[in-house]
Amino acid sequence: MSDAVLCRNVSAGYRQQPVLQDVSLTIRAGQMVALLGPNGAGKSTLLRVLTGLQPLTGGEVQLFGRDLRQLRATERARLVAVVPQEVTTPMAFTVAELAALGRSVPRGRWANLTGTDQQAIEQALAYTDTLELRDRYYSELSGGEKQRAVIAMALAQEPQLLLLDEPTSHLDINHRLEVLQLLERLNRERGLTVVMTSHDLNLAAEFFPQLALLDHGRITASGGPADVLREDVLAEAYHCKLAVRRDATGLLMILPTRTATAPTGKRVHVICGGGSGVEVLRRLCVAGWQVSCGVLNQGDTDAQTAVALGLPTVLEKPFSPLSAKALTTAGQLAQEADVIVVCEVPFGSGNIKNLDLARQPGKLVLLNTRQVTARDFTPQREVPTLIDALLASGATPWEHVGDLLVELEKMR
Amino acid sequence: MSTHRRWPVWPLLLAIPLVVAGALLAGAAGLPDWQTPLGRAVLELRWHRILTGFVVGAGLAGAGVVMQALLRNPLAEPYVLGVSSGAGLGAALAVFFGWSVVHLWAVPAAAFVTGLATLTVVYLLAARGGGASIYGLLLSGIIVSAVLSNLLMLIVSLAPAEGMHSILWWILGNLQLSAQPLLLTGSVLVLGALVILTGLGRQLNALTLGREAAHHLGVRTGLMIAGCLVLATLLAATAVALAGLIGFVGLIVPHAARAWVGPDHRKLPAVAAVIGGLFLVVCDTVARTIIAPQEIPIGVVTALVGGPFFLALLLRRRKGGWIE
Repeated sequence: MSDAVLCRNVSAGYRQQPVLQDVSLTIRAGQMVALLGPNGAGKSTLLRVLTGLQPLTGGEVQLFGRDLRQLRATERARLVAVVPQEVTTPMAFTVAELAALGRSVPRGRWANLTGTDQQAIEQALAYTDTLELRDRYYSELSGGEKQRAVIAMALAQEPQLLLLDEPTSHLDINHRLEVLQLLERLNRERGLTVVMTSHDLNLAAEFFPQLALLDHGRITASGGPADVLREDVLAEAYHCKLAVRRDATGLLMILPTRTATAPTGKRVHVICGGGSGVEVLRRLCVAGWQVSCGVLNQGDTDAQTAVALGLPTVLEKPFSPLSAKALTTAGQLAQEADVIVVCEVPFGSGNIKNLDLARQPGKLVLLNTRQVTARDFTPQREVPTLIDALLASGATPWEHVGDLLVELEKMR
Repeated sequence: MSTHRRWPVWPLLLAIPLVVAGALLAGAAGLPDWQTPLGRAVLELRWHRILTGFVVGAGLAGAGVVMQALLRNPLAEPYVLGVSSGAGLGAALAVFFGWSVVHLWAVPAAAFVTGLATLTVVYLLAARGGGASIYGLLLSGIIVSAVLSNLLMLIVSLAPAEGMHSILWWILGNLQLSAQPLLLTGSVLVLGALVILTGLGRQLNALTLGREAAHHLGVRTGLMIAGCLVLATLLAATAVALAGLIGFVGLIVPHAARAWVGPDHRKLPAVAAVIGGLFLVVCDTVARTIIAPQEIPIGVVTALVGGPFFLALLLRRRKGGWIE
């Protein structure tokens, strides 16, 4: 009885081209659920099924234990309210008048609003923080304010279930947060069940404890963010490589990774560290170079990037001077490479030996020469001398990543 | 950063007795003496025209409100779905075949029936395979209208001279036409339809958000759209049957009413009806006095007097009614 939504083997759409196939989904009362999936996966159709706009071709839908088809329009409107992507009206309704539309179906006598109606409207305005907008014309509001006004209209219905169809897709980032925080508050304080479709995987990961992923009209994954937002699951649905990371606060982040343009078939060994290699490594990969890396200390930002990109990397223990063994392995990688790139690395006694790896006669060496003295932390201040020596033996200087890529393109 | 300000209804109600008094007293015969039989007859005649004006104006304006809300289109008016051309054709046929001589009610009855029949055809055409969409309705309405008005032209061109004159008089519109019992029936129909529409005001409000949004708000959209279309057509067909084809009122008065009290359809049908009635009575008074004893067609006056007046009102208060 505590199920807000129960879809049992639901199919909908056209006979030849079903939009939803055999969808079974249970949403408990008081849950917050995001429906994810690529364009055309059937997210909006599923919402339309739940509101009775889309006839079923198979299966059944229950809302709060009652068969949707048996619900009268007025009863349904008291259980479910909908916030569509965009609401337009040609009429000059004020925000308060729009919110009053949430009470479109008379519950009392005649056409007048009863005290209960009025109370529900006021409460909806207060919750959505639109009280001071009440006399403004809806059409003159900003995108975020409009969306709040429409949510106020939906809340005035006093529903138990709120369905939202990509309510944030037209909004900029701060208005998105505003709307989602409002939904969270409604869920927490009023026990409102919230179901929202979204394209924004990151916002879904942050705000929704329950996710369901639709693809080709079927639910391919459901559960908590960690169950649904997995690289393999997402790659299957979105047909592209997505990287799932945890940020510093433990929040899941989903990033699209660009696939390499035409591979060059050439190898580049990158000497970096302390964050100097993050952008270089990524852009070299994207540009289609085979990249190796090292020596880097474990836990170094560059080491994390290199591992994330799946590059062959020589690692040393954290905060330790580079061992002979690591240097030999890295030296081999450098020797096999067609090009050696030295980034804008700060050098100290621990990692100065890395610079020796660039001393490969007859090989193209691209050497960063930006602010050399400022990043020299060796006891003898030897970095400028070493850099000059490398330049004298034919290394090509570069300062910015753009210059580096231009130099490398000549190698293709 | 505008805050809205909507005008109260009482000035409109106050205007009713003033307009009625003015219309009773003005006329080609001058100030009538109610103690003489002739004076009483003149007053009675004017009173009849005033009542007809109110009923017809209310009907057209109410129908316009509903059409503009349902079709979500500022250019919608009572005649947009072919009611006028249908009713016109019916009336012309009644004149052409000489039924009008047989019975007093023949012309209005024919107009009423063909008006309703036209809407039914338009709706069924638009609703083929599912509910009628707004664009489907507009499109089939315009097509059916075009066919019917050309049939009307055909009949006008075939009619004998005196028949043609009465058809033309009817097409131009005239508050003199209706008979007493007809007026009574008409006012009951108009009043009834307006009361029902007022009761459906909240659902009409919801429908201005579009069919799907209204569905979400709990409105049974198919039933409501069909029902409101029938009521609007009833209003328009009654007006046409009483006074012929009077244009402009059904288009512009709903805009004026929205500019006055805002877009809330719990008030709009009634407010539009009052404005429409007042407007038509004023126009009729002008039509029969300005070059008295000659009378000019009321349709001409509605456009010439109403045009500038409503234009000024809309330019000042446009934002309060309709968003462009």
